[in-house]
Amino acid sequence: MAAPLTLLLLVAVTVRAALYRSSLADLISERVEVVSPLTAWKRVVEGLALLDLGVSPYSGDVFHETPLIIYLFHFLVDYAEITFMLADVITAVALYLSVKDYNKQVFRKQKYALEADRYPLDCLELIRSPKEMQYIPLKVAMFYLLNPFTILSCVAKSTCGLNNAVIALFVLSTIKGNVLLSAIFLSLATYQSIYPLTLCAAALLYLLQRQYIPVNLRRFSFWWFVAQYAFMYLGSLFVIVGLSFFLLGSWDFLPSVYGFILSVPDLTPNIGLFWYFFAEMFEHFRLFFLCVFQINVFFYTVPLSIKLKEHPVFLIFMQLAVISIFKSYPTVGDIAASFIKHHKASSASSLNIFLVSCVLLACSALFPVLWHLWIYAGSANSNFYYAITLLFNVAQILLVSDYFYAFLRREHHLSHGLYLKRKDGSEATLVLK
Amino acid sequence: MQLQLFVIILFLFSPLVPQENAGQFFSSGHTNNWAVLVCTSRFWFNYRHVANTLSVYRSVKRLGIPDSHIVLMLADDMACNHRNPKPATVFSHKNMELNVYGDDVEVDYRGYEVTVENFLRVLTGRLPPSTPRSKRLLSDDRSNILIYLTGHGGNGFLKFQDSEEISNVELADAFEQMWQKRRYNELLFIIDTCQGASMYERFYSPNLMALASSQVGEDSLSHQPDLAIGVHLMDRYTFYLLEFLEDIHPSSKANMNDLFKVCPKSQCVSTPGHRTDLFLRDPGSALITDFFGSVRKVEITMETINLTEPIQQVEQNFVNEERQKETYSYVDQLPVSEIIHQKPKQKDWHPPDGFILGLWTLILLVFFKTYGMKHLKHIF
Repeated sequence: MAAPLTLLLLVAVTVRAALYRSSLADLISERVEVVSPLTAWKRVVEGLALLDLGVSPYSGDVFHETPLIIYLFHFLVDYAEITFMLADVITAVALYLSVKDYNKQVFRKQKYALEADRYPLDCLELIRSPKEMQYIPLKVAMFYLLNPFTILSCVAKSTCGLNNAVIALFVLSTIKGNVLLSAIFLSLATYQSIYPLTLCAAALLYLLQRQYIPVNLRRFSFWWFVAQYAFMYLGSLFVIVGLSFFLLGSWDFLPSVYGFILSVPDLTPNIGLFWYFFAEMFEHFRLFFLCVFQINVFFYTVPLSIKLKEHPVFLIFMQLAVISIFKSYPTVGDIAASFIKHHKASSASSLNIFLVSCVLLACSALFPVLWHLWIYAGSANSNFYYAITLLFNVAQILLVSDYFYAFLRREHHLSHGLYLKRKDGSEATLVLK
Repeated sequence: MQLQLFVIILFLFSPLVPQENAGQFFSSGHTNNWAVLVCTSRFWFNYRHVANTLSVYRSVKRLGIPDSHIVLMLADDMACNHRNPKPATVFSHKNMELNVYGDDVEVDYRGYEVTVENFLRVLTGRLPPSTPRSKRLLSDDRSNILIYLTGHGGNGFLKFQDSEEISNVELADAFEQMWQKRRYNELLFIIDTCQGASMYERFYSPNLMALASSQVGEDSLSHQPDLAIGVHLMDRYTFYLLEFLEDIHPSSKANMNDLFKVCPKSQCVSTPGHRTDLFLRDPGSALITDFFGSVRKVEITMETINLTEPIQQVEQNFVNEERQKETYSYVDQLPVSEIIHQKPKQKDWHPPDGFILGLWTLILLVFFKTYGMKHLKHIF
């Protein structure tokens, strides 16, 4: 498996390098769909320049990334392109390894279930065989690396690529079962953008499952493990925040980074849902709607984790998708991270993949068109752009719910048989309510 | 030409003019007339507002006020609008009876120059020094000014260019400024908008007379649409005003009371209003031509002036003074030579050593925790 992976990595690196050398790099790095005020490379350079002039990089509304990024790029600013390509490579390799490991566990569980005779007889075709799953890890890595969204995000040198790398490493360490590393990577991801906090629940569920601790609220072992994980997570978060304080000597990165993410002061149009709403909102209601929108991101954790407590890895990817849709400054890099789930569940029983992918393609094509019409030609207005944004997000939501449906349906078939019968014997169909 | 004719007739009839006529003749006290005619709305469907303003312009010019004394502000160009099926014309009545655009229109403020700020600056005279004379209201304390506004309005405001408003308070204050700067003798204010009476409610300066096409809470309605041009051509009040003014000629004796009767409710649907409490004369004694025409007053005198004495020359003595020439030199304001040799050094920022130490220690700790301490044995 190493050889095809290496080949894939080489191809991906070549594509990115070629795009870096072309004239498209400048064009892409200023598109609002690809970079946001949080992740733009221009702002990183600006922050470093401010630092060289002796001023805090967080003064003025320029730089909204974390101090660790300052530290990283202080030494690597000349090698930025290699850094981002390396980040993409790390993400792909981490995903590859994690999917391989996860497949092994899936097969093991399946074997036990088969031996215990828990599957109904007519759904044997749904059981995954090693042969068909052999190329899944490679496909996942390929899907991530050669995704046009990822390539765009890498060429634009958006720090979202680094965030994706940390999240991928978190997924790898979680699936390998390493509690400490998982907590550390999760805290790094949360430190950079607050939203991966929701992945805490998924990681906890997985690690509990792996250590055979049942999720029972009355058992001591459950709470003990939760306390351990929380301690490691919060501890590493505090350590990293403290280190950032020592780097610059002041706390003004807290309002600039976290205050910025949570209170959404910058309303530059992007592919998210926040800007249009908050542009036309009265000041009186702003706090209320801000709370509503931010809670919306975190809210899906609870019902999703209750429903998917048997399948925490699927839960991780669902959460990633929810984060990338509802976060305050999404970019196509986040979208790319959320597409990883495509090869996880069986897509045979999902309903409208074709429609959704057509909508996504069409929207991606229309984004620059309507931007040009609005800003340069002056014959459209923000409503047009927001309509495409809405449609894009609706398509993503449909995709998420579609995969959810497919996954649940497969699980249902595995436990109740492929041909469903009602109580009186007539044929029944599954509906996701 | 008309003026000369008038003077000749007056001279001929001067012995026959009774004293009462002369008294009435000079009772208004003004020596020149000005007109400020403003149309505040743009877009093709507001054709009628431009037609309103142009019809008043036409009447005022016909009655003698020259273009140099008219400030015409039109917010949009209807005659040469690409939606005008009859280019270079602006009609007041359907069937193309009267082309109020004419051949010699001089628009002083056009298009986007018609703003609240420019209007108020014209009234108060506070224009930048580069403003040409044609754009200025150069009135004095012997000027009678006619101000005509039309457009879309509401209770207490008039909308300019669909983007800003002038309020009745601002207008009243502008007129007070004009009064304090002695920029008018008497002022007639006519407004043809919805709820126009609200615009003159706040006036407090003397010698103002105001007319409006509708009361507060009423809409001023337009007259008729022309199916060939496709829009309403004029508003009712101004249509009947125009009709009334067409019968006025420079020597007409019609007075303000006749003007108040223009367009009763039966014709206008809205109730026109007027305000004369600030006007010091009796409105019955104010002629229409006091405001709408430029009737020059001529003072007939029977005295003679002797111009035969020569003018005396004053001799000038040139005093030669010797001026001491002092040598002057410039003093440096800033010690430039000291500054340019002292560029600040670019100090590069480095992360503090404690930070680097702490970070890498942590990374090493995590690494060894993950991979076990047995690796340490291989290193040491």
